[in-house]
Amino acid sequence: MQSFMQTLVFGIFAGAIYGIAAMGLALVFGVLKILNIAHGELVMLGGYVGFWAFSTLGWDPFLSLIIVIPAIFIVGLILDRIVYRHIVRQLGEEKIKNSLLVSFGLGLVLQNLAQALFTGDERSVQVSYAGEGLNIYGVLLPWTRLATLGIVLIVTLALHFFLRKTYPGKAILATAEDYESAELAGINIGRVYMMTFALGAALAAIAGQFVTFTYSLAPSIGMTWTLKAMIVIVLAGTGSILGALPAGLLLGVVEAMAGAYLAQTYKEVAGLVIFLFVLIVRPQGLFVRK
Amino acid sequence: MKTTSRQLPSFKPSRRWLTPGAIAVLLAFAVVFPQQVAKDNVWNLFFLMCLGIAMGQSWNMLGGFAGQTSLGHAAFFGIGAIITRVLWFHGTPFFLALIVGGVAAATFAMIIGAPTFRLRGAYFAIGTLAVAEVLRITIAQNQPYISTMPGSMIAEYNLPSRYWLALGLAIATTGAAYMLLRSRWSLGILGVREDEEAAQATGVHVLRHKLLALGLSAVFMGLAGGVFAFKQISYYPEAPFFPTFTFEALMIAYIGGLGTVSGPVIGGIFFVVVRERLAANLTDVHQVIFGALFVVIVLLLPGGLLEIWDRSKRLALRVIRR
Amino acid sequence: MPDFLNVDAINVAHGDIQALWDVSLEVGQGEIVALIGPNGAGKTTLMRAIAGLHPLKSGTVLLRDKALHALPAHRIVEQGVIMVPEGRRLFGGLTVMDNLELGAYSKRAREVRANTLELVFELFPLLAERRTQRANTMSGGQQQMLAVGRALMGVPKLLMLDEPSLGLGPLVVENIFETVRQMNQQGVTIFLVEQNARQALELAHRAYILEQGRIVGTGLGDELLRDDRVQQAYLGICPAPEE
Repeated sequence: MQSFMQTLVFGIFAGAIYGIAAMGLALVFGVLKILNIAHGELVMLGGYVGFWAFSTLGWDPFLSLIIVIPAIFIVGLILDRIVYRHIVRQLGEEKIKNSLLVSFGLGLVLQNLAQALFTGDERSVQVSYAGEGLNIYGVLLPWTRLATLGIVLIVTLALHFFLRKTYPGKAILATAEDYESAELAGINIGRVYMMTFALGAALAAIAGQFVTFTYSLAPSIGMTWTLKAMIVIVLAGTGSILGALPAGLLLGVVEAMAGAYLAQTYKEVAGLVIFLFVLIVRPQGLFVRK
Repeated sequence: MKTTSRQLPSFKPSRRWLTPGAIAVLLAFAVVFPQQVAKDNVWNLFFLMCLGIAMGQSWNMLGGFAGQTSLGHAAFFGIGAIITRVLWFHGTPFFLALIVGGVAAATFAMIIGAPTFRLRGAYFAIGTLAVAEVLRITIAQNQPYISTMPGSMIAEYNLPSRYWLALGLAIATTGAAYMLLRSRWSLGILGVREDEEAAQATGVHVLRHKLLALGLSAVFMGLAGGVFAFKQISYYPEAPFFPTFTFEALMIAYIGGLGTVSGPVIGGIFFVVVRERLAANLTDVHQVIFGALFVVIVLLLPGGLLEIWDRSKRLALRVIRR
Repeated sequence: MPDFLNVDAINVAHGDIQALWDVSLEVGQGEIVALIGPNGAGKTTLMRAIAGLHPLKSGTVLLRDKALHALPAHRIVEQGVIMVPEGRRLFGGLTVMDNLELGAYSKRAREVRANTLELVFELFPLLAERRTQRANTMSGGQQQMLAVGRALMGVPKLLMLDEPSLGLGPLVVENIFETVRQMNQQGVTIFLVEQNARQALELAHRAYILEQGRIVGTGLGDELLRDDRVQQAYLGICPAPEE
């Protein structure tokens, strides 16, 4: 049985991945006002690009981020053009409902395409330095996990800077607040939607790349990651894009604790139970701006 | 403001489809044909069609009539399957086990539905999705012994009995959908779908109508799960909780024509026949094709096959008159 | 005939309900033109249609020779037709400065951003003081200034104001209308939708009256102020309802 500190640390490491996956979903939800059930499939696709880079090019998984990110960014652009573009212009209830339905169907398409292309076998990336790391008073901090956390922090800060300090970033925030006003300010919101969706996909892909060497990869992992990302969004409170990181860390820790002190099965459902609890007890906290 | 372009087709339980003659022919075919051929693959195909019709009708009661999108119908299907199978394997008479399964599914639906329906939007959809996952991971995996039927049951297993049960369920579900539309509740349910606030303003108890539609929907989905558990000799206990079953149900409702009684019947037959053909030739690719087809239907053709039929008929009439 | 903005026989519908019927109007360069009419007449719809926020069923909207009705909203902004929407609709979570910068998002405006910003700060010194404040923490009057300021950042040739006096105190309204006059003197053409008919007609060179989706009258501002029917309907005997 590992120590409390070790459990906590591993929870934080896992949570960093949840955080970045959820950030992508929160960004898309906050700006496009659609709920993309296929977000987890983008995580999965990102993982396969990374796995491909590892197995055929022999690239280190952290290095291959430089192809994973643009690859899934482009997938995001394409999906927005072909599918989501038709939904974002709808209004209210109809929009959210159709986004759920369409992305549910799309998720199935992507999952089965992956199944056909990559087979259903579980894949994972083993780096040569997998077991190595820092050892601080008996608490192990593997390099891979430290690097993961570091990259997540850097990406979060970069996203913060991009949204708050740059012109295109502010245009995204403005569109999220009031898309008509944004149009009246001269912002091409169709383009903002497309770039935002692609950005959300890229964030999912980063998470997917971390999945390849932290967990294992299979075409069917999408739904799990969509749900994880949703749980995190609920915990973060809506409208909060960067709040996904602390909320993700929280979920990671809760799961780790449940796994260590209850049972391994409960690790998987701890988050879902919290999620249902929030839905039932405080549903207004979900996806609603105060 | 509602966008009119995506309104669903009109609501009368389209009589021209459900004329007694057509029903009689369809039923006679469903009863006579499999007996005449008497081959396992035909029994199988017909079983799947009936199960598909029941699932489509079930999803349609909630998603089509009341306008509440569920992405977690697999939760009800799975609950029905697991409870029926566990009770049945423990010696409960099958029909009793089946009914308990259906009731359990409805009970579960209420637990999730009552709080989430108070709010609109995606809550219910996501809530059911999460429930299905929780159950898949926890309960289903703790019941490994139900994965395969005991030898004694396999010994007396016969496929036609499974088919008759599924046929009965399909008829009952379709009948229930028809009755629901003819009942005094129907106006309220349709009102909730068209404009919740307006319905509320005219005195419709919105939550009660949603729950009614949900309850009925969940009962039949749970029964469908029970029938599935009755038929499959062996399967992973968590399989009925897979999102695929939700998808099949809503796909069938959408293909046929959302919000109609005949839609899921047509959709169920079409879906199963095409899927079985594709599966025979293309293995898993049928899911890709159906997924893509579904996306196209939601985006471009919310009326499904019935709408295509209506449109082409109108077009044909115009050509003839010219 | 003024040939700056030409709206010709446009029809607009909300779903199945027709909101505008063959509406035609013109705004000449350098003019202040007001559009008055009762609640629900379609005034806002007309303005939104010109700005590209609402599709036309038929008809044309021309700015000089440029067909605005064929352009999406953000391209219309690029042509110099800029609307201040009803209720201000600021980017509330962003700062005053962010709002102003976003107002200059179009390429044409971005190039002269620094200059425009100086002009706007001259017109509204208060905005300069509060540039780091979040927009939704300001008072209604200040927000309206920011909304106008944001629109000016887009370097409008035609500035369209939808109910700029809505929800503001009389002094603030006075202030806003004075600013509008100033901007007009600096060469900005103004198209104004107002429920406050008296002030609008006093300010405007010309005005149109819109009732139930149709233009039912037009004339010079002071002509309409003296018109019996207008006096009865919009100026006093039946006072415009306060929001």
